[in-house]
Amino acid sequence: MAGPLDGYKVVELAEGIAGPYAAMELGDAGADVIKIEKPEGDRTRGWGSKAKGSVGAIFRTINRNKRGITADVDSDEGAAQVRRVLEGADVLITDAGWSKHPDLQPEALLQRNPNLVIVRFSLYGKEGPWALQAPYGELAAQMASETTTNLGVITEAPVRIADEVGQMFSAVNSVQAVCAALYARDAAGGQIIDMSLFGSLVVIRSTMWVGLSNPDFWWGFHVDAYTKPAHYGYKCSDGFVNVQLGRMSRESRDQLYKDLNMEWVKSDPLFSLLDEDTAGGNGRYSHRVHHLWEKAFAAFTRDQVYDIVERNGGNVFPKNTYEMFVNSPQAQSQELLTTVPTPGTGDIKMMRPPWDFGDTEASIRRPAPSLGEHTAEVLAELGVRA
Amino acid sequence: MPQGPLSGIRVFDMTLAMVGPWGAMQLGGMGADVIHIEQPTATGAGVPPTINGTSIGYIAWNMNKRGLTLDMKSPQDRANAYELLKTCDVFMMNMRPDVAGRLGVDYETLSQINPGIIYLTITGWGQSGPMRDVPGADPQVRFFTGFHQGVGAEGAPDEVYRRYTLFDATTGNYGAQAILMALVARKKSGKGQRIDLSMMRAGSAVQTPRIAEYLATEQEPVPMGSQSQSTAPDRAYLAQDGRWLGLSATSEAEWRGFCKAIQHPELIDDARFATNADRVDHRKELDAIIEPAIAEYPVDYWRLEFDKVGVPSNIVIRWSELRWHAQAMQNDYIVPIDTKAWGRVWTGGPPWQFSGTPGKWFSTPGIGEHNDEIIAEVQELRAAAARSNTPTPTERA
Repeated sequence: MAGPLDGYKVVELAEGIAGPYAAMELGDAGADVIKIEKPEGDRTRGWGSKAKGSVGAIFRTINRNKRGITADVDSDEGAAQVRRVLEGADVLITDAGWSKHPDLQPEALLQRNPNLVIVRFSLYGKEGPWALQAPYGELAAQMASETTTNLGVITEAPVRIADEVGQMFSAVNSVQAVCAALYARDAAGGQIIDMSLFGSLVVIRSTMWVGLSNPDFWWGFHVDAYTKPAHYGYKCSDGFVNVQLGRMSRESRDQLYKDLNMEWVKSDPLFSLLDEDTAGGNGRYSHRVHHLWEKAFAAFTRDQVYDIVERNGGNVFPKNTYEMFVNSPQAQSQELLTTVPTPGTGDIKMMRPPWDFGDTEASIRRPAPSLGEHTAEVLAELGVRA
Repeated sequence: MPQGPLSGIRVFDMTLAMVGPWGAMQLGGMGADVIHIEQPTATGAGVPPTINGTSIGYIAWNMNKRGLTLDMKSPQDRANAYELLKTCDVFMMNMRPDVAGRLGVDYETLSQINPGIIYLTITGWGQSGPMRDVPGADPQVRFFTGFHQGVGAEGAPDEVYRRYTLFDATTGNYGAQAILMALVARKKSGKGQRIDLSMMRAGSAVQTPRIAEYLATEQEPVPMGSQSQSTAPDRAYLAQDGRWLGLSATSEAEWRGFCKAIQHPELIDDARFATNADRVDHRKELDAIIEPAIAEYPVDYWRLEFDKVGVPSNIVIRWSELRWHAQAMQNDYIVPIDTKAWGRVWTGGPPWQFSGTPGKWFSTPGIGEHNDEIIAEVQELRAAAARSNTPTPTERA
């Protein structure tokens, strides 16, 4: 079964995370992806803990399902080569400012191939005072979109959300846009789609913006969390869990206090707040009674807290490490991981594509290319000698 | 074709809460006719804050749609639903696995009514496995998939992002991707198909770089404040005016520019900092040079200096400023929208800008607001089908 984008040709003139991950998703969905790198290679080749003497795991994972060629994209000769590769392409994924050559700018390429769907990633978007900057400033985008204000301790240093999230959000949005543009192409022709890290980080928090629109009604767990202290979950004797009590009857609530040996809390001055708290860290006053829950949970393991809370009608989830997550029975039941044979490196573990298509299955068909691995092959296909 | 790339596509959106509605809203913003189906007893109340009976979430997750109420347990409403489904391209739901059959909207039934239908179900944990029937919501899936790993101040425990919706929206986005891929495939095959997506796998997919590092090294990431796990220098530094400046030099060219901007060109040839891997290994020594350098000038000085050499940097822009910020407004990342329940709200607009097919972002419908209009359309279709005695066309691509 071929993937849903089988037969489409994608060319990537991008680096870092956003463009390469977007192109990877199109490749997972069956498209033929050609990655063009500058002679020095994609910057992510040198990222991460395996960078010394080999290529990092981030690069290897987000560049699977691609053939790789190199070209000196700022020179006339290199630009001409890239344009040959772009002949017959359906999609171009590129970064603002990636090549300085006038022939490789999106507008010029669209003029040359009016059916090309072009994604251009930038840091802050196409318009405005910071238009069309290169999309490699993850932290700048996280701070400018105030993504960092929901982490860390107020008045202390900013904390970033997981390293590459802005690039990932933007890449995911771009794949939506590319497929929509491919769908519309018969009628509308090709076009340029502008994406940015800043934009995707702002848009994904729409719920909060709606809540903050009306300053008289801003309370709610989607809205007020950045006025609160850092949240780590609830500490038990052997680690942290997340608790979600939901709506409980009076009887269940009293039974819960009893089972947790915390009936002492009924004489605490904060009891009225705790008694209304659904835990989960999301209640109006969860942060003020957090220590009372933890005082009770300290006498129990995570499994014991799980048993007690679940039998009284609440939910408990472990705060998993990656090791716990990927080895969990549920992750294994969904075949989260697969291995990709890679010449010279052996098998590399990766997550499978997330979608389960009934008919057009997504797949991982080849490992990431070494630098320039397919230059001769791709050029030969085009009738050009390398 | 200024209406958006999905002009002509119709979506039967039977989703609840956020994860499904968000995905459908994205399709609506690209020009699809998204019909949001709700129970006649629905109220739009839910997570706080609620104004005029309508929750923040209902407003924020259901833009770009028409509203229709149907009681799928009533034979007449179900017949109307099936008639409408003949004209739809996409069906979406995010209820527990067994609910579809009970409501008569399982894939087997709908694909018989309309073989071109693209049928997406979103679950918390997947259609099988020991957690199949466990309710899955954004915070639970974040805890379970380790989204907190490596997040937090240095020395602190792994920290949980202090609000919801990131995984709801992410899963909705991956769901919209899959629908759109299937629409593209249908142009050739003429056939619809079923797609299953779980929040667990979408939520872990968006962590692909982090999990790739874990799988390669079997080392869990450790909280490092604003610092990147993979690159250096890539963190926030305190400037002279007491504000934090976040900056990243993640390529060799950016590193060289950075050294010049902070007037330490000798670092370019310093063997300790020769490659990104070396700089990561010698972060403390590097920071001992950078911290006092950044502290000498205010952030505005550095913003200009780093712009000149192509090193991205910025400060935290709080909402009070962001909501009016030229960069957000001119790109429609923040759009003011007039709503019935809440009046004018500021919300996120489209994350993409199409040069050829822009689409538009419009206000959340009331519950069942378009009942009369849509049922009239259904009746007209039924009458037309009776007149011609042929099935209504389902493939309008």
